Parts: sequence; structure tokens; C-alpha cells
Amino acid sequence: MNNSTPDMSEKLVQYIDGELTGAEKESIEQSLASDKALQDELQSLKATREAVRQFGLQQKVTAIHQQMMEEMTQPVKKLNSSRRIFRYSMAVAASLVLIIGGYMGLKFYTLSSQKVFASNYHSYELSTLRDGDTAQVSQVEKKYREKNYKEVTILFEKDADNSVKEIFLSAMSYVELGNNTKAIEGFKRVLAVNQAAGTNGMNDEAEYYLALTYIRNGDYDFAFELLRKINDDSQHTYHDKVGNKLIRQVKMLKWR
Amino acid sequence: MEAIRNFPDSELVANLRSGQRMDDSVKAIYRSHFDSLSWYVLNNSGSREDAEDVFQEVVVNFIDLVQKDKFRGESTVKTFLFSLNRHIWLNELKRRGRALAREEKFEKGQERIEADTGHVIADREARKQVMKVVEELGETCKKILLLFYYENLSMKDILETLHYENEQVVRNKKYKCLKQLEQMFNEKPYLKQTLKNLLHE
Repeated sequence: MNNSTPDMSEKLVQYIDGELTGAEKESIEQSLASDKALQDELQSLKATREAVRQFGLQQKVTAIHQQMMEEMTQPVKKLNSSRRIFRYSMAVAASLVLIIGGYMGLKFYTLSSQKVFASNYHSYELSTLRDGDTAQVSQVEKKYREKNYKEVTILFEKDADNSVKEIFLSAMSYVELGNNTKAIEGFKRVLAVNQAAGTNGMNDEAEYYLALTYIRNGDYDFAFELLRKINDDSQHTYHDKVGNKLIRQVKMLKWR
Repeated sequence: MEAIRNFPDSELVANLRSGQRMDDSVKAIYRSHFDSLSWYVLNNSGSREDAEDVFQEVVVNFIDLVQKDKFRGESTVKTFLFSLNRHIWLNELKRRGRALAREEKFEKGQERIEADTGHVIADREARKQVMKVVEELGETCKKILLLFYYENLSMKDILETLHYENEQVVRNKKYKCLKQLEQMFNEKPYLKQTLKNLLHE
């Protein structure tokens, strides 16, 4: 059935992903019109993609299902009245469970992305300058040191050619100003620039603050991914700041 | 932060279609409908476990139908879920080979609603088998394919999540994974029809 070349297959996948335009798209549509085997492959790729989607949906529903079953089941059972001692000890045990459960439940329900963010967030501070250094400091950095965050972002947006440090400081300023979207964009740019250039400038800082911003923005999956990475990497500057508690909290937030 | 909440039908359907507030919306379905739908299963020779399984199936199918624009609000969400639930459960009973004269009699009066949902959903067992095939795919492949085709993340986002060298590497990997899964399905020709049904084409 499948006698198309790997090249053709790749084009087909791009086609179903909606990535082909213009002449490329027309060309594959022409081939499809006349080639039965290619049509079959197209169908089979579409079906495969659909299976993946359904699998994702199934996983999501299963996860929520388990959570909801816990929320919705209330165990009700009557005790035999002749077993007094047993009953009393059960009562004591039950109240203990209630107290502990209540405490944990309270922790769970009072947990919010804002709180987790706030309890882990400290403004990023640049190291102090010696007298001679002041001249080399960029405008962006100067305004950041003055905590004039609004001005940092204005300067940053004006200049198309910012250094990694400037990108980072502007992202930090957006965090301070409460603009998650812009902050996330900035941190991701720091990581992307480093990755492209094979450099490391402000990389650890960007990862850590990106994770925190993700938390504040409710993007727990992304935050979780990053935090786990920092936690796994003992060389990471922020390794000590990312403990199992924070990771657990993000996991809990995911389930909220 | 979030209180227990329900949505009106229109908002619920809009959320499910766009994929926004997905978790809240699915939870709302559970809060509003689980009790009454599971009651139906429990009262028709089903166990609690059956009721839960069937309900999950109902929710998955409902979201899928909404996203494919097959639910156009001709009935209320409640009625629609109820007929999905009944359809899935009666099929399951049939599969288990129990002759339940009483249910069939009960069914006669409600053929119309039955017809609305019967033809649109894939057989439960066959569906499970399809899921099993995807499950067998390697972890990395599963992740890339899910991020791209289910979460609709861009190559760039996936690159950042999974830490590959560059977009082209992710793209190649994704292509190989999809072809690999396609191959796994090709080895099971008996699933071909089920896959087709899943597409609703």
C-alpha cells in the first residue's frame, strides 16, 4: 500500500499540519488527486493524528475523573451499637483524621498561585558597583538599579538591539509590574538567545524567574517542567531555592 | 481561588470547543451529571465501577463531539449526555451477553434520542484498543505527539519544553514518531474501521 518516498511522506505530514502554502500545497494536492496510494497514506496519517488527540483527551478526563471521585464520594457507614469501645476508638481516630485532613485540606484550599509566587519571589538584585564601574553601566541597568521598572521597559522597547542582560532586566521589570505575558516572553528570549549562541548569560536566573512567572500565570505544567530541571541540576544557581516543597505545591496547584 | 461552579450549557459548550477552562468545565460536568447518570447504570445491573467507567467514556465522547461540531445544541447537554450514557451502557451489556428484556422494552419508547447518538460514537472496546496502541509508543514520542497534536503547542514551545537542539530536530523527531505510530496501526488492520470512526468523517 505504501510506496511513497520518505520525502513525500514528510510533505504529507506538513500538509495535514497545515504548514504548506502556495505552490507546495498545490503540488501535493495535485499528486493526491491522481495517486490512490498517497490518498490512503493521507487518511492513515490523519487517523493516527486523531488517535493521538483522543489519547490526550482520554488522559485528561481520567485525571480529572480520579480527582472528582475523591471530591464527590462521602463514605457513610453505620456502626454496630454493641461495639462500644470499638466505636469510641473509631470516633477518636476519626476526629484525628478530620483534624489532620482538615489541616491538609485547608492548606490545599488556601494554596493559590499568588501565594506560592509571593512566598518564593524576591526581587532580583544586581551586585553593587564599585566607583569606577558606573560609566559602563547601560541606561536599562541604571534604571533597574533605581527600581524605575516602568522606565526600564520603555527604554527596552525602544531599542531593538538589547543585550541578554538587558532582556533579562526588562523581563524582571515586567514581573515587578505584574505583566506576566511580557515577562514570560522576555525570559524565553534570554533562553533562546543563549541556546542559539551557545552562551550561558543570565540563563539560570531566567529559568528560575520564568518558572515563578509561570506559576503566577497559572501555567503549572511549564513551571513544573522547569522547576524539576533546576531541582535535578545541582550546579544550577537556583538549585537550593527549588526544594521538593515548591515542586509539590506546583503539583497541587495543577490539580486545583 | 476557585469555588465550586457550574456553567450554563452555552458557556460549557463554548469552553469545551475552544479548549479554554477545560478543567473547570469537565469538573462542572461531573458535578452536574455524574450522580444522575451513574444512577442509571446502577439501576440497570451495573456496578459502581461500571458507572464510573461509562461516565468517563461519556465525557470523552461528549467533548470530542463538541470539538468536532457534532453537538449543535438540538437538545440540552443533560439530555445528550443521558443518551450517550445509555447508549454506551446498553452496548456494554450487550457485549457482556446479557439478555435484558426489561431494558430493551424501556428502550422502545426512546428510540429517537438513541438514534441521535448511536451512529456517532466508536465502539467502546475498539476504542480501548486504539488507546492501548498509543500507550505502547515510547515516552518521548508520546510526549512530542501529545504536545503538538493535543496541546497544540508550536515547535518553538516544544523545543523549549523538551530542550532539543533546534526546531528541525524536534520536527524530524515528531515526523518519525507519527510514522512509527502509523506503522503500529498498520500492523493491526482490524483497528482500521475504529480509527475511521474516530475521525467522524
